[in-house]
Amino acid sequence: MTFSINRRGFMAGGVSLLTLSAMGAPAFAADSRLRLIWWGSQPRADRTNKVSELYKAKNSGVAITGEFLGWGDYWPRLATQVAGKNAPDVIQMDYRYIVEYAGRGALAPLESYMPSKLNLSDFDQAQVEGGSVNGHLYGVSLGANSAATVLNTTAFQEAGIDLPTQATTWEEFGKMAAELTKAGKRKGMFGMADGSGNEPLFENYLRQRGKALYTADGKIAFGVEEASEWFDMWNKFRDAGACVPADVQALDKNDVDTNTVTLGKSASGYAHSNQFVAYQQMNKDKLALSNYMRITKDSKGGHYRKPSMFFSVSAQSKAIEQAVDYVNFFVTNPEAAALLDVERGIPESKAMRDVVATKLDAVGKIPLEYVGGLGDLAGKLPPPPPSGAGEGTDVLRNISEQIGFAQLTPADGGKQLVDEITRILARG
Amino acid sequence: MNNAMRATADPAVTVEHNPRAVADSRWRRIWNANAPGYFFLLPWLIGFFGLTLGPAVISLYLSFTDFDMIRSAEWVGAANYVRIATADPKFAAAMKVTLTYVVLSVPFKLAFALLVAMALNKGVRGLPVYRAIFYLPSLLGGSVAIAVLWRQLFAGDGLVNAALAHFGIAGPSWISHPSYSIYTLVALSVWQFGSPMIIFLAGLRQIPTDMYEAASLDGASKFRQFYKITLPLLTPVIFFNAVVQTIDAFKAFTPAFIISGGTGGPINSTLFYTLYLYQEAFGNFRMGYASALAWILVLIIAIFTAFSFLTSRYWVHYDD
Repeated sequence: MTFSINRRGFMAGGVSLLTLSAMGAPAFAADSRLRLIWWGSQPRADRTNKVSELYKAKNSGVAITGEFLGWGDYWPRLATQVAGKNAPDVIQMDYRYIVEYAGRGALAPLESYMPSKLNLSDFDQAQVEGGSVNGHLYGVSLGANSAATVLNTTAFQEAGIDLPTQATTWEEFGKMAAELTKAGKRKGMFGMADGSGNEPLFENYLRQRGKALYTADGKIAFGVEEASEWFDMWNKFRDAGACVPADVQALDKNDVDTNTVTLGKSASGYAHSNQFVAYQQMNKDKLALSNYMRITKDSKGGHYRKPSMFFSVSAQSKAIEQAVDYVNFFVTNPEAAALLDVERGIPESKAMRDVVATKLDAVGKIPLEYVGGLGDLAGKLPPPPPSGAGEGTDVLRNISEQIGFAQLTPADGGKQLVDEITRILARG
Repeated sequence: MNNAMRATADPAVTVEHNPRAVADSRWRRIWNANAPGYFFLLPWLIGFFGLTLGPAVISLYLSFTDFDMIRSAEWVGAANYVRIATADPKFAAAMKVTLTYVVLSVPFKLAFALLVAMALNKGVRGLPVYRAIFYLPSLLGGSVAIAVLWRQLFAGDGLVNAALAHFGIAGPSWISHPSYSIYTLVALSVWQFGSPMIIFLAGLRQIPTDMYEAASLDGASKFRQFYKITLPLLTPVIFFNAVVQTIDAFKAFTPAFIISGGTGGPINSTLFYTLYLYQEAFGNFRMGYASALAWILVLIIAIFTAFSFLTSRYWVHYDD
């Protein structure tokens, strides 16, 4: 048996393939084609896709495809796409990663499109700044939120304990939580979640003491003393039964589904305000939002309004102008705002905020009022965390677990935290 | 054929004086005979070169660079390997977890698989059904659903502790306590004993029954029969299973990823080697460093496998 493809046959086949592909091409040709990617759940995808439909209806000849993944799968996918020179045109970006991506030249600077193409004039200017790295705008904030305490008001009522107020200190709250645990109205429920490994909470504590996690030039901005005292405070809460034990806290994967409040293991926990609607959906009891506790009665608040997430435009995009136009539409069109609601946080544009405010239900109003009512508790937005900050988050959690499981003292833990973060930042 | 014919027709160049022509015709013959084979192999060849060998070679190159997936890679020499060897406490932690897992899960899994295979070999009625049922966990082995199920079983208020509570024992939260979490993963691995069991079953069928008959006539106890007949004759199968399962155990990823939520926690107690590799590559954008970690793993598996083969001559008996 012989087998061969001669040259003529090969050429003929090749030509017919070429012809086929040439014939196929016009079917895909739209004037421009945008690809979007974001993380989040199905409800967010539905809202986003509706905005895309609306945009297509108003801009004929634009084809839009969107894909979404969960937070954990999102970053590997995005990194792979960027490495493969196949990044989507519009990318949802987080405060934690914007420096990594912008610094590596993966995102397009947007300031040259302002204000003609990208009009952020009625945005809170501090929030616009939040999307800047080294003086260039790399991300347009999709909403504001702030870290918050989630309270299960039903559980507090059952135990006959008043809810904390804006003036409550950590010491007082620790006592209240311990009482709630002792009241024992619900089996296995503690007063509060163990927040010792929770970075936003730790940051808030540092800011109340006039420190921060990182400096603007990417160095560590707190010392062993603060860190040790922080861990020591939580050890006391654990000993008093105010917060859940370490092995319960370890189940928390840092999302709404596995949080100790959602699982009914604690009457209070730590979240971000834009997650409130999801928290309430998953909990039969009535929930409320409050600020993080104060260290002393007169200590300054450590909160700040944070861009919940950004839209960035890929530097590899072949349709940057179109992508910028889409982002502009997303944050400044009233119909789009009505579709998006506060699911990504409270709109940054004042006009859009007014559009949304009239449509919100009671649960949706709670985060809006919470962020609006922070008053003197809200300070300046810290600079975007430096490259390597993601690892810092893991280190904090790891050390807080070692202390929780009594493998490390608070004093040693504080020292180790400062050492390791310093080492990580040096490595970059 | 063509070349050879043309060569003889040309008076100036004969076949004998042109060895290249001979070689050409030989290659052509081989090509004509084997081309269909290669053609049918083509999908596999493309897959092997494109998806296995190619990426492997690239990752070897990347392991000597500082590739972060976005900027272009820069050559850093052996820096990544030096760092693994001298300045990476997490590498040591991951290695410890992985070795603990291999050392515990492989022997227990094989022992359990052999036990069940011997029970099934007794000629149970409905053997195919049992075989299928016992094999099922292996098929589902790497799946996310099973890992999620395991999370539910071994949580503080999970089924395992509910069962223990009947005996008045208050169990800890197995999966979220650093002293126990690795053992729940070992248990999960042992439970997935199906594939070595099927192979043991096939091996047991090969042992001639008249050997057992002769032994029992001589008054050998069941235990002695197992020890003197079953085990020695089964050594080639045990060897095969041990090598395959050891390699698998080194590469374990999914259960730890799901059960710890990708963190390897609490306190790095489930930080499997591959999980750490994944974190470095995709969490911290250090693809170059992760590639170096991957090659170290290849090396470790190779050493283990070579060691198994070298020692096998002292304990594996081939029937010849």
